Amino acid sequence: MRNLLGLLKNEQMKLYSRWSTWSMYIILFVLIVGSALILLWADSVDETTYGDDWEQQLTQENEEYRELNQEGDFFGFDSEIQKNEYRIENDIPPLSYDAWQFTLDNASLSTMISLFTIIVAAGIIANEFRWGTIKLLLIRPNSRTKILYTKFLSVLFFSVTMLLFLVATSFIIGAIIFGINGWNPSLIQVGADGVEEVAIFTEIITQYGFNVVNLVMMTTFAFMISTLFRNSTMAIGLAIFLMFTGNIAVEVVAKYDWAKYILFANTDLSQYFGSGSPIVESMTLGFSITVLIIYFVLFLFISWLSFSKRDVAGN
Amino acid sequence: MKIAMELQNVHKSIGKKPIIKGLNFSIKQGEVFGFLGPNGAGKTTTIRMMVGLMKITSGDIKINGLSIKKDYKEAIRHIGAIVENPEMYPYLSGWKNLKHYARMIPGITDDRIREVISLVGLEKAINEKVGRYSLGMRQRMGIAQALLHRPTVLILDEPTNGLDPAGIREIRSYIRNLAEKEQVSVIVSSHLLSEIELMCDRIGIIKNGELITVEEVRDTDTEEEEVTVRLEVDEEEKAKTVLQETLNLNVQSEQTRLKVNVAKSNVPNLVKELVKEDIAIYEVALERGSLEDKFFELIGENTIA
Repeated sequence: MRNLLGLLKNEQMKLYSRWSTWSMYIILFVLIVGSALILLWADSVDETTYGDDWEQQLTQENEEYRELNQEGDFFGFDSEIQKNEYRIENDIPPLSYDAWQFTLDNASLSTMISLFTIIVAAGIIANEFRWGTIKLLLIRPNSRTKILYTKFLSVLFFSVTMLLFLVATSFIIGAIIFGINGWNPSLIQVGADGVEEVAIFTEIITQYGFNVVNLVMMTTFAFMISTLFRNSTMAIGLAIFLMFTGNIAVEVVAKYDWAKYILFANTDLSQYFGSGSPIVESMTLGFSITVLIIYFVLFLFISWLSFSKRDVAGN
Repeated sequence: MKIAMELQNVHKSIGKKPIIKGLNFSIKQGEVFGFLGPNGAGKTTTIRMMVGLMKITSGDIKINGLSIKKDYKEAIRHIGAIVENPEMYPYLSGWKNLKHYARMIPGITDDRIREVISLVGLEKAINEKVGRYSLGMRQRMGIAQALLHRPTVLILDEPTNGLDPAGIREIRSYIRNLAEKEQVSVIVSSHLLSEIELMCDRIGIIKNGELITVEEVRDTDTEEEEVTVRLEVDEEEKAKTVLQETLNLNVQSEQTRLKVNVAKSNVPNLVKELVKEDIAIYEVALERGSLEDKFFELIGENTIA
């Protein structure tokens, strides 16, 4: 345990001494600023300011929505109408778009973090083999198991760091561009039991949390491929390919019951919350968590087997 | 003399193909042991087994009595090694590279890192990125990382690979120093006899995964040893007659030189006889026979540069 910290420090040093790692942060930063500017310029943010007569304003909005609904046989505004009615009934004045909302919307950017973490996970073992440094790394009094798990922990640490960077930057940029409505404003949304009021802070944690599941699973997968084939290109390619096609593939086979055992049928836990419904009917939250844990342990076990048992031979 | 490393009937098979077919030898404390053989003889495979990068199929390797198979963590503590090329992280500075390896073994202070850096003479370049180092500097970095934890056994795989003659001489003096002053046992592998014979106490020759012979290098240099002498003289025929008739030697003509095999103690006498006959001598070149001849037989002349 004594030099576990040393090993972690080593991995972080190797990671952050490379330009490519910093470029990931820069790309993420540019994306955050970019999305804020697009929101601002494209006028897609609801900039209506509500005064003291907000109840009247909402009633008027609802009338407009109903008209639109009737015209187009389109019920897309139903949830908006419900939300507005809820506000009027419960006397909760609407708030304009702010840093909290922006941070919540940016939960979708964690897909980028998944991408970057996959790249890091794919390289952390394979690069040592490519550079030949694996030999000098392994001839020290540390078991291979320990080297492997410190590397995996480093990858997770990297993704957590990046997530914090995303949240913090989103909030700061959001605050500069859109302002802040208090320290914990609430959000009105349509959940499983109709319209409900939730603290936005809780909602941010939940949304990022859903994304982290996918991140961890795909990262572990990339890590496994990287240890198995000692080749980062292959690990990155496979993991990203699966990340983008996995969900589509599951939808194609969703009519079969065995589809529920596929990893990608279980990575989106939001299907059990709010207005979502599971891909295969017989699935439950507990089932999905079990399947996820099994895949996770399996990926790590295969990595360990390959890393600690195989010879490190010449090129 | 204490045994620092011992190979006990070491075998390695890859698939069903035997690569190493039973190696038995030991390296004494403070000795420089040359591990010589043509490319593909199994040198690197053996070295990889010594440091635990490859599993030993059967047999065992003991370092200061500790088995590399069973007590890996304890045994490896006594080993410092370069396996093949001294590969470092190119994007890290020399200092960070050494710091990296220092963190992996408890008890290595920054002072020790500085000490090792000055030992290999890299003070000036230590804050530069290793990617910019020359091959010679990287070899020295390799030695530095191997020495960090004061190992009792130092394994250097082809340490002179790609170095110029000055670099080879430098490495040779480091290695002799380590063995003599610090009592470190050094194992140096090479496929070139000429590059390692001057630094080794003993040389083991390996071919096709088998140890052919282990030769003492320094002790063979005695008076009784038979050496090959090549002579460059002005009157070759006359000299040939003198050598054949007065000294009873078997003389061969080799282009512009005469070649005789003679005991080393007899060389001064040989010269004296030639001088007595008023033959001008331009060169008397001695060649120590046994090791080189054995190596020639094994490997063929082409591989010796």
